[in-house]
Amino acid sequence: MMDVRIDRSTRVLVQGITGRAGRQHTKLMREYGTHIVAGVSPTAGASDVDGVPVFSDCGAAVAATGATASVLFVGAMQLLDAIRDAVEAGIKLIVTPTEGMPVHDALAARRLTRAAGAIWIGASTPGMAVPGAAKLGFLPSSALLPGPLGIMSKSGTLSYEAGYRLAQHGIGASVWIGVGGDPVKGTRFGELLPFYAQDTQTKALLIIGEIGGNEEEEFAATVATLRFAKPVFALIAGKSSPEGVSMGHAGALVHGSHGGYAAKQAALERAGIRVCASLDDMAAAVGHWHAGNTTN
Amino acid sequence: MYLFEHDAKELLAAAGIPTPAGVLVEDGGVLPSLPPGPWVVKAQLAVGGRGKAGGIRKTATLDDARSAVADISRKLIRELPVRGCRIEQQIGSARETYLSLMVDAAAAGVRVLVAPQGGVDIETLSTQPGIVHSMLCDPTPAAISAGVRSLCANLAEPVRGALINAGEALARPFFAYECTLLEINPLFVRADGSWVAGDAKMITDDNALERQPALRALLAARAHAYTEVALKAEHGCDYVVVDSAGDIGLLTTGAGLSMMLIDELRAAGLKPYNFLDVRTGGLRGDPARLVHVLNWIAEGSHIKVILVNVFAGITDLGEFSRLLLAAIARAPQLKVPVVARLIGNGIETAQQVLGDAGIAVETELEAAVVRVKRHLAEQRA
Repeated sequence: MMDVRIDRSTRVLVQGITGRAGRQHTKLMREYGTHIVAGVSPTAGASDVDGVPVFSDCGAAVAATGATASVLFVGAMQLLDAIRDAVEAGIKLIVTPTEGMPVHDALAARRLTRAAGAIWIGASTPGMAVPGAAKLGFLPSSALLPGPLGIMSKSGTLSYEAGYRLAQHGIGASVWIGVGGDPVKGTRFGELLPFYAQDTQTKALLIIGEIGGNEEEEFAATVATLRFAKPVFALIAGKSSPEGVSMGHAGALVHGSHGGYAAKQAALERAGIRVCASLDDMAAAVGHWHAGNTTN
Repeated sequence: MYLFEHDAKELLAAAGIPTPAGVLVEDGGVLPSLPPGPWVVKAQLAVGGRGKAGGIRKTATLDDARSAVADISRKLIRELPVRGCRIEQQIGSARETYLSLMVDAAAAGVRVLVAPQGGVDIETLSTQPGIVHSMLCDPTPAAISAGVRSLCANLAEPVRGALINAGEALARPFFAYECTLLEINPLFVRADGSWVAGDAKMITDDNALERQPALRALLAARAHAYTEVALKAEHGCDYVVVDSAGDIGLLTTGAGLSMMLIDELRAAGLKPYNFLDVRTGGLRGDPARLVHVLNWIAEGSHIKVILVNVFAGITDLGEFSRLLLAAIARAPQLKVPVVARLIGNGIETAQQVLGDAGIAVETELEAAVVRVKRHLAEQRA
C-alpha cells in the first residue's frame, strides 16, 4: 500500500530550489509548516537559499539530511532526469507540479518509480497536503482546512474551488492529493484507494475528475473490488466539452466513445458512488453526509 | 494533437509507411493534379464516424470527384465543420485488417491491438469474439515487434506476414513522433502480402512539440487547421471556441474549473462562447496574453458579456487586475460589460482597482453568474 501521509516531521527536499518558482514555493511551504531540509540545483552553485542548504544532486542532499520526500520545480524537458536523480537517491515520495511533461517521458518515469517502490505524485499537479500539518507543492492555504474528507483531484483550480466551498461549510480534508491532469501520471485515483481505506482520519472520499482517459472508470472498479466502505462522492468536469480537442489538460481529450462523461458517470454510479451534478450539488451532498456523520 | 488523416498519412509516408497517393483540397474550388483514379474523397476533421455521416465517397471521374468535394466540404459531421478533403487513390482488391498502438496510461506501456478484419470501428470489431487480439508491451520498438509477432501467430497468410511487417514498421513512427495513439483501420492486405495504410488516426503529444521538428513544421504550415494547438504553442494558453453562437466570453484560469464553469452555465440555460485556461501564473507582468484573449473573444459575433473567473492560489490578484484593465484598454472593439469573480491573494487591492474602473468584483461564483444573467437580460430588453 502507498503511504502518502506526511506530517511536520517529514524531511523534504526541493529540486530546482534556486529557480523563481522553487524559491517562492519553498518559502510558502515552510510558512505552512513543511520541514524543508535541503535544496538541489545541479547548475546554480549556490550554497543555500534562505538558509536551506543546496546540493548539486539528490544523493548528496539525502546523505546530508536524511530527506525522504522531494518536490520538483524543474522544467518539463528536464523532469525525467530529475525524477531519476530522486529515485536513485532513495527518495520515496516524489511530487512534481511541472506542467507539460512529455507522455513518453512520463511512461519511463512511471516505470522507474514503480520499480524502485517510490510514490510519484504528478505531473501537472498543485501537489498534496495534510491540512494543518504540511504541504508539498502549492495548494492554497485558503482551501486547506483539517477535517475528515479525503480529496483527490485531477484539476488544481477545480479542487481549490471545491475545497474552498467545503471549508465555508466547515468541512475540511484529511489528506488532499492532486493526482494531476496528465494522461500518464505517477499515481492514479484507484491506486490511492487502499491508503484511504486504512487511513483512520479519512471518513469519506471526494474525487474530482474530468473527461478523457479511463481513470474514473478504473477507480469505480477498484471501489467495487476493494469493497471500499466509506462514502464516495465524485465531481466530473467537461460534460459539455467538444470531441477531439484537449481541454487545457493533455489528458482531457474525448475521442469517439473514449473518455466521455456518460461512461464515467455510469461506471461511478454502478459502484455506488454519488456523482454530483455541479459544485453546489457536491457541497450539498458532502454537507448532508457531514451533518449526519458529526451528529452521530 | 489529433491529426487530420491527411497530415497523419503524410507524416507516415515520410517515415516509410505505405499509404495511398493523395492530395489535400481545402477550398473546394479548383482540383490540384491528382494521382491516377479511381479515387476516394474523404472529409478531413478530427472525429470518427465520417463514413456513416456521408463524409467518404468513392469516385471514378473528375466531375464526380469535384462534386464530391463540394458536397462533403459543406457538411457538418457530428456538429463539426469539415476542414477540407483528401482525395486519394482507391486501393484495388485487398483485405481489410486492423492494427493499433496506444499508450496505456494505467499500465505504463503500449497496448497493441491487431485483428484480421477491419474497416469498422474497433468497438464494433470487439463485440465479435476471437477477432481482436490484444497485448500490453513495454514501450520500445523491439517489444512491440515481438508483441505483434506473437499476437499474429495463429493468423493465416498473407495477413499474418503483412501485420507482422506493419507492426514493426509502425512502431518506428509511433516512437519517433511521440504518439499516444496510432490506429490503422483499415490496414489493406493484398494477396501478395503487401500492405497499405487505408486510414490513419494519429494523436501526438503536444507536450513533446518542443523536440518534434516535423510536427512543429506541420503546425507552422497548417496553423489554421489546428487552431487550439497553434494558439497554445504560440501564446502559452488553452483556448477553444465551444459555441460560436455563445454570448458569454470567458476569461478564466485553470482547465478543470473552466470546464466545470462551462458545464454549469450550460446547465443553467446560458451560452458560454469559449473555454480558456489563461494560466495567470505565466503572465509575468505583461498584459499581452490577455489582449490576445480579448481579441479572440471579440470575434464572437454574439458576445454580450465577459465573465472573469480566477481562483488565485499564488497569483497576485492586485497585479492581475491592473493587467486586466490594461488589456481591456487595448481591446476597445469589445464594448461589453465585464463581470469579475476573483478570490485569493490580493483580493482587496483587486476590488479597489477594478471597482474604480466600474467593474464589480464578486468573490462567490454564483453571485457573479447572477450579474452575468442580469446583463444578458438588460441587453435583451
